[in-house]
Amino acid sequence: MQARPQDSWSVTRRQFFSRSGSVLGLAAMATLLGEGSRSHAETRSGDGPTALPHFPPRARRVIYLFQSGAPSQLDLFDDKPKLVDFQGTQLPDSVRMGQRLTGMTSRQASFPIAASRYKFAQHGRSGAWLSELLPHTARVADELCFVKSMHTEAINHDPAVTFFQTGAQLAGRPSIGSWLSYGLGSENSDLPAFVVMISQGSGNPVDQPLYDRLWGSGFLPSKYQGVKFRAVGDPVLNLSNPPGLDAQARRQMLDDLGALNQLKLEEFGDPEIATRIAQYELAYRMQTSVPELTNVADEPASTFEMYGPESRTPGTFAANCLLARRLCERGVRFVQLFHRGWDQHLHLPKQIAGQASDTDQPSAALVADLRQRGLLDDTLVVWGGEFGRTVYCQGHLTAEDYGRDHHPRCFTVWLAGGGIKSGFSFGQTDDHSYNIVRDPVHVHDLQATILHCLGIDHTRLTFKLQGRHHRLTDVHGKVVTPILG
Amino acid sequence: MTYDASREANGVRIFVDGRPWKMNVLLDELNQSFNSDEPLAIGGGGPGPPFKGLIDDLRIYNTDLDPNDLSLLATSDSIDAIVALPAQERTARQAAKLRAYFLDSHAPQHIRDARRRMLTLRKQKADFEDGFPTTMVMEEMAAPRETFVLVRGQYDKPGDRVGADVPGSLHPLPSGAARDRLALARWLVDPANPLVARVTVNRLWQSFFGTGLVKTVDDFGAQGDAPSHPQLLDWLAGQFVAQGWDVKGLVRLIVTSATYRQSSKVLRTALERDPDNRLLARGPRLRLPAEVIRDQSLAASGLLVEQVGGPSIHPYQPPGLWKELTGGGDVAQDHGANLYRRSLYTFWKRTIPPPSMMTFDAAGREACSVRAARTNTPLQALALLNEITFVEAARVLAGRVMADCAGTPSERISLAFRLVAARRPSENELRVLLGGFERQLALFREKPAAAEKLLAVGESPVDTRFDPQELAAYATVCSLILNLDEVVTKE
Repeated sequence: MQARPQDSWSVTRRQFFSRSGSVLGLAAMATLLGEGSRSHAETRSGDGPTALPHFPPRARRVIYLFQSGAPSQLDLFDDKPKLVDFQGTQLPDSVRMGQRLTGMTSRQASFPIAASRYKFAQHGRSGAWLSELLPHTARVADELCFVKSMHTEAINHDPAVTFFQTGAQLAGRPSIGSWLSYGLGSENSDLPAFVVMISQGSGNPVDQPLYDRLWGSGFLPSKYQGVKFRAVGDPVLNLSNPPGLDAQARRQMLDDLGALNQLKLEEFGDPEIATRIAQYELAYRMQTSVPELTNVADEPASTFEMYGPESRTPGTFAANCLLARRLCERGVRFVQLFHRGWDQHLHLPKQIAGQASDTDQPSAALVADLRQRGLLDDTLVVWGGEFGRTVYCQGHLTAEDYGRDHHPRCFTVWLAGGGIKSGFSFGQTDDHSYNIVRDPVHVHDLQATILHCLGIDHTRLTFKLQGRHHRLTDVHGKVVTPILG
Repeated sequence: MTYDASREANGVRIFVDGRPWKMNVLLDELNQSFNSDEPLAIGGGGPGPPFKGLIDDLRIYNTDLDPNDLSLLATSDSIDAIVALPAQERTARQAAKLRAYFLDSHAPQHIRDARRRMLTLRKQKADFEDGFPTTMVMEEMAAPRETFVLVRGQYDKPGDRVGADVPGSLHPLPSGAARDRLALARWLVDPANPLVARVTVNRLWQSFFGTGLVKTVDDFGAQGDAPSHPQLLDWLAGQFVAQGWDVKGLVRLIVTSATYRQSSKVLRTALERDPDNRLLARGPRLRLPAEVIRDQSLAASGLLVEQVGGPSIHPYQPPGLWKELTGGGDVAQDHGANLYRRSLYTFWKRTIPPPSMMTFDAAGREACSVRAARTNTPLQALALLNEITFVEAARVLAGRVMADCAGTPSERISLAFRLVAARRPSENELRVLLGGFERQLALFREKPAAAEKLLAVGESPVDTRFDPQELAAYATVCSLILNLDEVVTKE
């Protein structure tokens, strides 16, 4: 375990004036994007986390494939063959147990059960049950760990996604990637520690929006916020020089800027000036490193075959999966993809096939690709949405058509890679996939487990605010040890 | 039916045969604008069954009719028919309609003029009164609503019933005082309560010095830090109260103090002994807030539009910024003067805030925050170097400098430096800037098209008064100056 870069940085600051050598030496030490830029006051305040990681990590980085809108566990992962016999019958009160429903279905006159119209089969040595909608995922089933007993407290998208991202339903807390960026920093001096990419699925076209807060830093300093890589224009905002200003002109200007800031530093002695000089150098390097990263022209044709045809189209989930692998190779700590379109309230069969197809091949390819490159052992991959979907039908139930409302009581996510047991299923739901009957995993438990894989005790990664040590898992969360490899 | 645009149920009245109809208000939630693309539905809409019957002679007026108008409307007899009736047989309404017709069309000219003038004045009075700014006023309910602790925050799980009061750890409300907002307000500013004044003074102190006298500006409780200068904090709070809570007076007191006016040069011994300057042996040195950084670039270039107030504006925004998160449309960026208003007026969509503001640590507005974070990141460098607002400000500043100063490049660069940094550059600095100017000029002389491209950034007109290559070279120097640490820092 190596010392954390920020520790050496604060020593450097303390010794600032006794150091021989130029500011460039200092700048070189200060280049870690997530770490070296810790501001003056902050370094001294003792607000930073101490002694991380807390124990040897199993994963060094995370790729979180967030399925926004809430995929139906009933049609993808949680096979309930008995439901065919109950098709069209009313959801029993013994199953619903007085649960409050959303305003979208609470006024329905009836709650007929809708069995999945998709066939399930077992796959791999592990015998994981998967629906026919996920043929590619089925091929890597032995790498995956299915948690079928996820549950959450929120019943609508905004609070539910915010809950997964920040551990709280209300806005204002740091996102999980920000916590990791704050706690662990980056392994790459030229790239952000936390990168976010967005894609629109082919399922529900009027799906719920996403929000900057989902990768925001909350009350942590803003430099820990996720950097959104965009498919249109510059991958990172303002990355390109303005029209008419080429790299040579920019370099000259930056040299002069550095010289003038250096004069100021000599006159004023404020270490913040040294940091600013370093940040401009880092910005300059990002202008090379980011396009190099996002330009996939150097990938062989076999890569695109693996991730599927859409991987050649920027902004698709497939293209983002490929970029996630490239970011991962370059040591970016936390890569999060958001794929919209999973909100199948009505006409689920019409929507879910395309939606599942968007993610199936690229997600499976990502796992296989990480495996073949030897990266899966220390990369944690997570795939899942913000809640599940109801067994009862929303809207009109026919032989061909059904819809499903929000269901926070049970749903499935899968994990793979660093620190997680492969070829494993955990937790069990009842015959209606309505309640959990064994091994419930709360959102805070999943968060605690992700941190655990990265060598972090979730109760000790804290930030003091308003008299309280806040943490991602609030005052809850238990590491789900049975799924650890 | 009439509606006075008050967005209240009692602003809607129904008249039958010109007489007001008694109504029961079931919902008072007219909180949406009527300015909608939806069709106006008559006799339909809403969950109930649609109107069944016939509708005849539907008229829509764009004004709130008064009872007199309605009475006239409800009197369907024609003027000819009314005139034909003997006077004593006319109903009061018929008589009123005839009278109105007479005053409007056949009365002597001076009476018609007077009537028209009366109507005009009445309308002016109404318009004048409608133009008053409105403000929300809280009103206590006649019987306070019962309030409960919600178990684990669940709205459907009420726990203990609670009432309003001030925190038990602080001094109590006067005995017998109502537990209402007025009592709370009086309690807050009671001269015997030092807390509010101390907290307020401390936050203002933070905005000038970067750190509060109590560092935990959001926590004056047992978990908070002790003040570095307790007597100073107390004295400032006392002055603040004694001067009638005069914020401007307090600001003046702070910024004219010897402490604030010290040099912010950091001496080596001071840095070692007091790195955070809690002992205030030097003046503060802080990166400017996001809004100020943008505003000062606009101001230095002369682009800033100092119009006060009005609706929020949409400055330059990266294309697709909203679309990629919502799937819906992007907001249309403004053009013209609205691009150059103060950042204060920038439209703030909380779920997708303006990126550059967030890059420079502006508060996200999603949760209350009084701590001032100041980070120093490469994304800030990229924004200041490349964002359209700053590039445009640099090229417009270059034009301003060339127009205002006909002298040598040194003199022009000095002027640009003074306009932004508010001081003359030193000889060393000028030498670096001049060398940069000459090298950039040489590059643009080689690639004249590049100069044209740079000078077309932003929507303000391309400055055609000067040699484009020279102007572009000055623009890069101006951009450099706008990027100086000193320029984005208050010292």
